[in-house]
Amino acid sequence: MDIFIPAFLNIVDPSTLIFMTVGVGAGLMAGSIPGFTIAMAIVLTLPFTFSMPPAQGLATMISVLVGGLSGGLMSGILTGIPGTPSSVATTFDGFPMARNGEPGLALGIGVWSSFCGGIISAVLLVLFAPQLAAVGLEFQPWDFFMLVMFALTVTASLAGSHLIKGLIAGAAGLLIRTVGEDDAVGVGRFDFGSDYLLTGFDFIAVLIGLFAFSQLLSDLRNPASARKALSDQKQIFVKIEHRRAIMILIKNWVVVIRSALIGMFTGILPGAGGSIANILAYDQTKKAVKDDSKFGKGDPRGIIAPEASNNAVEGGALTPLMALGIPGDISAAVMLGALLMHDIVPGPTFISDEPVLASSIYIAFFLANFIMIGMQSGMLRIFVLVTRIKTYVLATGILTFATIGVFALHNSVEDIWTLFFFGILGFFMRQYGFPLAPMILGVVLGDIAELNLARALAIDPDPMLFIARPWSLFFTIIALFSIIFPIYQKQRGSGSLLEKLYSPLMLLGLSIPLFMMGGMFRTTLATAALVIGAYVIWRRFNGRRLKQRY
Amino acid sequence: MAFNRDSIIALILIMASGGLMLASFEIREPDYGVLSPAAWPRLIIVILGILSVLYFIQSLRMAKVKNLDTPSHSLVSFFSYWRNVFSVFIIFAVYLILLPYLGMLIGNLVFSFVLLSVLGGWRSFLMHGLIAIGTSGGMWLLFTYALEVFLPRGSLTGL
Repeated sequence: MDIFIPAFLNIVDPSTLIFMTVGVGAGLMAGSIPGFTIAMAIVLTLPFTFSMPPAQGLATMISVLVGGLSGGLMSGILTGIPGTPSSVATTFDGFPMARNGEPGLALGIGVWSSFCGGIISAVLLVLFAPQLAAVGLEFQPWDFFMLVMFALTVTASLAGSHLIKGLIAGAAGLLIRTVGEDDAVGVGRFDFGSDYLLTGFDFIAVLIGLFAFSQLLSDLRNPASARKALSDQKQIFVKIEHRRAIMILIKNWVVVIRSALIGMFTGILPGAGGSIANILAYDQTKKAVKDDSKFGKGDPRGIIAPEASNNAVEGGALTPLMALGIPGDISAAVMLGALLMHDIVPGPTFISDEPVLASSIYIAFFLANFIMIGMQSGMLRIFVLVTRIKTYVLATGILTFATIGVFALHNSVEDIWTLFFFGILGFFMRQYGFPLAPMILGVVLGDIAELNLARALAIDPDPMLFIARPWSLFFTIIALFSIIFPIYQKQRGSGSLLEKLYSPLMLLGLSIPLFMMGGMFRTTLATAALVIGAYVIWRRFNGRRLKQRY
Repeated sequence: MAFNRDSIIALILIMASGGLMLASFEIREPDYGVLSPAAWPRLIIVILGILSVLYFIQSLRMAKVKNLDTPSHSLVSFFSYWRNVFSVFIIFAVYLILLPYLGMLIGNLVFSFVLLSVLGGWRSFLMHGLIAIGTSGGMWLLFTYALEVFLPRGSLTGL
């Protein structure tokens, strides 16, 4: 109670509530406009939060995030164009249902699924973040270093066939962070005699440039589409059918919970966000039902699954951020930036060292979902108005805002130059198929990696410890398998050796560090991994022999 | 084997890695501290270099694919394809150069107006002017008075 009451008071402060309401509204708008992503909205919110107390700033950003995750469904259901990649699967059944004359029901199901997904993940965040933080207390500098490497490789591996480009982007992100004075000894690096470079790039300006500026350039690239409004819809007369939607959700509670769990788990994985979770949840739901003939034609479960999962992603992404200081996705990476801006370094001790702030984050996450429900109906009209604005007008306004926002960070015009340079870089990276997420993670985590490398070598200069310690070996194994993952994915169904051995070998490999960790639970887990891995290998090879015999 | 756009990017990356590796030898080595300030950047550069070589090899093994959305080789079509992007680059760069002279309020107003008119056409200049005044003025008021951020004044305009 000593922690909960001040945290609660932080959030229910009238100014915080106003910022949260504005944040949810802004998020709903950003999420509903195709081409303007949630991450961009979060990045652009960051300069605003600079002058706010940490709890208020984070509550505002969480509100934008929750609003953004729910906003995508409005556009997806009403126009058939998903507002964000997180709501792609929502359009599969949401749009047909709206066209079948039930847009109010489709929106209602989407809104309440989002709400349920958000609340389930908030509960899981409260339960799991402290547990994960307790595990994180075992981590030593070697383990943290390898954890960062794992986060980068797994994010790069999500680039699929562009794995090398993803890895290059991650390495470039780490390198960008080294420009300027070295934190440990104060020596200038890659400054080439320039004071601007000696101070280093402000990483928030880098993030806004890489993500927001480059996105706007991409939106403006085509002169014809830049002059068009997103929609020529004059009016939408839709009444969201809350009661019917809730009844449908109650009937399909298994779909809600399963999808929320999928979203939560996807969110925990670094780099994997709502764009993967919504498709995954839709696919799993379709596979799980007995009769999937109505899918794609307006099946309510086809709306529940993606919306419950994409809203649950953020609870997942915040879990490693709060527990370990490692963001689960770009939005969480920006939140890490917000914390660092206030000189708060998240890590395993964050929840115990800053209990009021941690609880404020939990409460804000819960409350933002309620604000979202309240605002969604009212935002429909504004959504129609915003979609009637021409893209170039919207983009110019956002660009002007981003410029002032970046300046406001340190009252420095140099930061606007940084925004500009990295905007150009981000734009060309997008054009040439380089994923931005690994670079952003590289920029955000670069300092943490170097700090832990230095600490590790100061304790013991033996480099073998980076793979010999249980947790660092654990992360090394997952990192290696994440690098191989795109090749494995390509070979699926081909019956190749890699396809047969990938998952069992990973299980066998992971059992080694788990055995090294000791303890009843982990030894049991290791034994299970060993037995399952060995069984799968035996089964896959003997299965072929048995087939040949008969 | 085909030399393509990816091969060129890979070669640029390889050269950049080489250049940065050379630059890393300019980093001063202090007598204190366990990890040399150059060690971490060098480790990243080595990894970046190796990845760039792999990218180069991969690019040579890729079949040459013509992206239908990209412009043809004529200079006119190239500039018309990238027109908006180059316009934003140029207008933004000019805005940044003029910012110390015009200040944030006037600079943003001019920047918004010019950018809107270049992207949307000069016919709607009146509408663009009103939008520029509304957005730039509104943001200036918001940051100056609500968020108490001191926005730069121009040496020529005094605003």
